[in-house]
Order: sequence, then structure tokens, then C-alpha cells
Amino acid sequence: MTRKEYLMEQKEEKGRKLFGIFPAYYPKEILWAMNVLPVEVWDPPLEVNHANAHLQPYICSVVKLGLELILQGKCKDIDGLLFPHTCDSIQNLASIVSDYLNLDKPCYFFYHPKAPYSAASRRYYLEELKGLVLRLETQLGALDFSELKQQVKKGHKVAALLKELYRLRACSELTASNTDFYQIIRRGEYLHPDDFLPLLEEFLSISRGHSRKGPSVILSGILPNPPEVLKILDKMGVRVADDDLLNCGRRLLAPESRNEDPFEAMAEDYFGMPPCTTKNSSLKARADYLFKKIERSKAKAVIFYMVKFCETELFDVPHLVEELKNRGLATLLIDSEVNQGLSGQLETRVEAFVEMIS
Amino acid sequence: MSLLKNVRYHFMKDLGAPALMRFSRLKKKKRPTNPNPNFGPSLKSANRLKEIMARHYFLSRYAEGAKPVAWVTSGAPVELLRAFDFYTFYPENHGALCGAKKMGPELCAIAEEHGYHQDLCSYARIDLGHYFSGITPVGKLPKPDLLFASNNICQTVVYWYKALAHYWKVPLVLFDTPYNFSTITEHDISYMVRQFEEMIPLLEQVSGQRFNYKKFQEIIRIAKEGSLTWGEVLATMKSQPAPMTIFDAFGHLAPIVSLRGLPVTLEYYRILLDELKERIEHGVGAIKHERKRLMWDNIAIWYKVRDLSDIFAAHGMNFVTATYTNAWAETIYDLDVNQPFESMAKAYSLVILNNNLTNRLELMERLIKEYRVDGLVIHSARSCKPYSVGQYDLARLLMDRFNIPSVVIEADITDSRVYFEEQTRTRIEAFFEAMEI
Repeated sequence: MTRKEYLMEQKEEKGRKLFGIFPAYYPKEILWAMNVLPVEVWDPPLEVNHANAHLQPYICSVVKLGLELILQGKCKDIDGLLFPHTCDSIQNLASIVSDYLNLDKPCYFFYHPKAPYSAASRRYYLEELKGLVLRLETQLGALDFSELKQQVKKGHKVAALLKELYRLRACSELTASNTDFYQIIRRGEYLHPDDFLPLLEEFLSISRGHSRKGPSVILSGILPNPPEVLKILDKMGVRVADDDLLNCGRRLLAPESRNEDPFEAMAEDYFGMPPCTTKNSSLKARADYLFKKIERSKAKAVIFYMVKFCETELFDVPHLVEELKNRGLATLLIDSEVNQGLSGQLETRVEAFVEMIS
Repeated sequence: MSLLKNVRYHFMKDLGAPALMRFSRLKKKKRPTNPNPNFGPSLKSANRLKEIMARHYFLSRYAEGAKPVAWVTSGAPVELLRAFDFYTFYPENHGALCGAKKMGPELCAIAEEHGYHQDLCSYARIDLGHYFSGITPVGKLPKPDLLFASNNICQTVVYWYKALAHYWKVPLVLFDTPYNFSTITEHDISYMVRQFEEMIPLLEQVSGQRFNYKKFQEIIRIAKEGSLTWGEVLATMKSQPAPMTIFDAFGHLAPIVSLRGLPVTLEYYRILLDELKERIEHGVGAIKHERKRLMWDNIAIWYKVRDLSDIFAAHGMNFVTATYTNAWAETIYDLDVNQPFESMAKAYSLVILNNNLTNRLELMERLIKEYRVDGLVIHSARSCKPYSVGQYDLARLLMDRFNIPSVVIEADITDSRVYFEEQTRTRIEAFFEAMEI
């Protein structure tokens, strides 16, 4: 079943509302509990055309593709849009969509506090969660508190499975290719947990086993796109042992809170997430987190999967690269537009890098 | 803080700096002047402005070790730091100065050699380039004891100051201002007020001074007055002919950005205001034949201010308003000495760049009406995404509503390597043609 078919089935047969969600952090459990299926918008397979009339050439392709999706009318079955406060470009995109496009869809905005976190940040985040519920209730009806509790538990089950997959991979106990791994992980960007959980369980059961031999690397950056890089790594016998990608490991590997209050639990999950530049984590926190991953997986190198013009991530890279080099680790910076595919030059760079670490 | 350095600082403040200013005035008189025939007489106050800013940069060299030094973002609520007697330094103002002195490419390139991508904000690259090289047009910058940033102007400053905190090994205080997507709520304000309360112990620790509420209230009063007076200065450009241009205002902006909350700023704007009122009284315009009145959107193109000023003046076109210069007159006047924290939270979180695009559209509509604007020049600045994203729509909507021509200049605030002279000229020429229809 294609993604589109799946979404239409969710809407028509399960009666779920569909929400388009822009990157990166948002409380998906609230949406699940209100019978909404969040559909994340990272890299829709489109050619940017209409969005160029609204956005300058120096705006990143994640933002442009998200707008293009709306402008091409491909969001007509969507019941609402949610924009978390991730960066300046997404912030202003939210305002363009909400204020200037005259869409007949409700637009929601979600602000999460920036580090360093204090008591005020925690209190604010809790209030933001509750404020979002209030805003959603005007469209979707009252939130069932016990349903939210159930969905938070479900979210924790998903997180636990994902963590187990990441653990096995880091310990060379997962047979899946890099391409297959990220294809499965990224289906969580639109699958309902009732469908994602069995998929993860099945993937886990068939993928347990010794990983193939070969050098291992960590991925950092935004998202594993262009996916062709993963294919080259597979072809050349390089194993991705772990990642610090914004749309994968950084969001998915939070320690699960045991708090019985679902709002408190969501807040604890959020503040327990790995360090991230979109949340203003310090450079030290980010470097330490990467080193922990490297230690656990014994990776030899880090590949930075950057999106061109992503200021948010590009500011942290010089320090991270320097620290990695000081520890004798190799680094490769891939700075490309999403869906750009693999140029001959990039392919050669990746191959040369793999030969260097092999 | 060192006693010796403190004595040296006060000596330079009371004797060294005034002597230097006198010397520089004498030197200036000897310089021949070649006035542009398209402009009216220069503003006399400009000399006082130069003295104030030169003194500020000069004294900053001696502040290190004598006073607590804070590096601050342009939109941060500096009033709180003033209560602890911090010597404040503004990297964005320094970046603009480097841009105006055409040093942007050199300093940016140094940061790029250290891995900072050319796509990053050029103010940040200039600042990092200075960190790695020590190069600055002002001799020497004081090492910070504290970094104070607010993301009310962009998230970029957060990433940039995080890097500075790492390199300088000093604490970074962030004032986190929730973006005003539709309306600012009580819980947004409470969050910001709580942050102020949480900052105070660290500010006390770094400065070695206890928080003095009364002193803080007085600073709030001065900052409010300064902002109001700056607003009056800008409002003089509603007159026809306007007594100054926005290109002048880009320079006169420096005190309200860098010295906000200090008496010198208020005193200066009163002097400037008097001079502008006098000009209005005598019908003296900033340009000799003001035929058309324009609005500028976004930060200045610092290395091209003079050139652009000349080009537009030659066509009798005067910039009479700008969203950029207006930013420091827009909300700070809302400060309230009786509710300093709450009013500071509101004033600083509702600035143009932390506010939704409907607000920006309404603001620009108001400025177009009040200043009787005939055309719009939009600087699409690669360095400033919160200012630039949305400009294409703004231009289209304003053209539709007011039937006024507009032009978008794709450039950068300080990195002239991404300024394309021919392309810009062609666009401006087409704009001139549209303006004459």
C-alpha cells in the first residue's frame, strides 16, 4: 500500500483526521489521542516550482518542498497543519501559510523552549502542551484524558522498540541494510502507532543476527536524504552503526518517563531527548553525545548529512568536526538539497571517504 | 575587577576620551569636503554621533577588567544588564561597522577557513573571523565576561552566541522569547518574566553587584524616553521634504541599539531632534529635490549605503521610512517603570522579527500611509532569514493594495561577495522607470 493509499484509508475507514506536520519536535501523542494522524513533511518527492515565488533561493529545500506540497494542492485531504518552532525559516513559513495563502485549513503553531533549561522552561513547556490541546479542541472536540494516557504509553512502546533496534545496530547485532533500516524507521513519520508497532516488531524479529563485517560510521545532521548515499554505503560494505539525525535518532531515543500524568510524562520525554541544535543544546553536550555513540558502536567516522542552507545545523558543525578530528576520527560533510539525488562528484567523494576508512 | 584597571578606565573616560575627541575634531576641520550637489546640508549632529560612538569603542578597550563586559544581541533587553553596570558591546553593530568599512569579505573568509559555511549569517562570520584573527577596525574589542542573547530577532544569534560562549569560555544568558504566531499570551509573558528572575543571580555573580530595583526602574525610564525620542526623530521624515534620509538614520540608529538605557542616548536624540525640527521649520530637505518618497525594508547593505544613497538621490528619491530603523521605536516605548519586567517581556517579544507577518504587513501599510510612500525597496538579505522570508509576499500584497512599485535587491548586509552590481543596477533602473509612470 502506498503512503497516499494508507493515508486515505486512515481518513475514510478509520475516521481519522490528517494533519501535515512540519519539522521537527511536536507532541504526537496529543494528536493520536484526538484521533488525528500526524503526517510529517520532510522531503516530499516534488520538484520545486511554485514555492520559488514565495521563498528566496537561499532558503533550504525542506522548507521549500513543504510549501510546494501545499501550493501544488497536495494537502487537500489534510485537515490541519502544525508548525513547531524549529528554525527561522519554518517560523516564517508558518506565518506565510497562515497569514498570506488564504488556505481553508487551520494552522497551529507550537513553541518549545530553548536550552539551557530551567524551572521556567519546564513550566512553560507544560503550559504549551495544554495550550495546544485547547486550540485543537476548538476544531476536534474535547480531549479524552484517559485516551491521552493510553497514547503516551503507546508512544513509549514505540520508543522502546526503536531504542532496541538502535541498540542492536550499534552492537552489530542487526542484519538489516542501512537502506532498509531507514526505510522502516522513517515510516514512523506517517504510520499510526497501531500499524507502526507491529511493523517494528516484525522488523526486529527478522533482523536480529550478526551484522556484516566492515567499517562502521555514525550519521549526523538533518535527515538521510539523498538516500542514494545509504545505497553506496551498503554497496561498499559500510555499516551505519548509529545516528544523530534530527529526524531520526535525536527525536526517537528519549528515555521513557514513568510519570503517570501524561502531560508531565510528555514534558519529561521532551527534556530527556538527545541534545539538538534546534533546541539550543550546547556544543559540549552535542559533542559528548556523539562521542558516546562512537564509543558504544566503535564507529570510525561520522558522516554529516546536511541540508544546504540549514543555518541551524551548519553553526555546530565546525566544532563537532574539530573535536572528532582531535580524536582521530574521519568526517565527511554532505551538503546537498534534499531529493537532489547523487551527483557523480558526490558519489566519488563518498567512495573516496569509504576507501579512506576501510 | 582590578582596581588598577578601574582607575585606568575612569581616567580614560574622564580625560583620555575627551582629549581624543578634541583632537579628532581638530583633525576633521582640516579635511577638504566635496559635497554631493543632490543633497542638502549635512546634519551637524552627525559629528556628535561620531564622537559618541568613537568614545564608546575607545573606552571599550579599557573596560576589560575594570567593569563587567557583556556582549549583547541588538534586540536583547539590555536594561537589565545596565542595572549591574555592565559595559555592553554589540557584535552586530561591530559587524555593521566592518561592513561599512568594507572589511566583511576578509573577516568572513577567516571564519570560513575555520569551517563556518558561507551560507551562514555574515554578522556572525565577521564576529567569528574577529575571534580567530583579532582583526577589527576599532583597534581592539573587550573580552566578554558574559554573553547575553535574545532570539527575538532570530534563532541565528542563539547558534552564533553558543559558539562564542564555547570559544570565549564565558557564560551565555539566553532570553527566550516565544514567537508571536497569533497573539502573545499571559503564559508567554510569565515565562519571560520568570526568565528575568532566574537571570538575576548569575548577573549578580558575574558583575559582583547586587540587583538594585530603583536603579533598574530609572534605566527603564531612560530607555523608554530614548525610544520615544528616537521615534520622534524618525517621525520628522513625515515632513515634505524630509529633513533626513533613512541612509542617515542607519547611522543615527547606533546609540539606540548600542547605548540604549544610557543618558547619553537620550541627550543625543534630543539634540538631533532639535536640529531636524529646525530644518523642517526652514524647509531644508535632506536631498535638494525630493520628488518621490520611498520605504526601505530589512537591514542596510552596509558596504553600499553611500552608493545607493547617491543613486537614489540623483533621481530625487528619498527614503523616508524603514522597517529596520523603526524597530527600536516600535515597542520599547511601551516599557513601564511600574511593571518593568512584564513590560520588558511584552516590549521585547513583540518586535517586528518576533511577530507574525500579518503584523509586519499592517506595520508597513501604516508606514506607507503615514510617510506618504511612493515606492518600496526591499533588501532580500541572505544573512537574515527572519527578515527576508515572506518579503516576496509582502511586496506583492503591498503593490496590490497601494498600487506602488517595488524592487527586490538580492544582497547581503556585510558580505559584498554576494552583491551583484550589474543585476542590482538593472533592477533599480527598472524600478526608476516604474516610478516615473
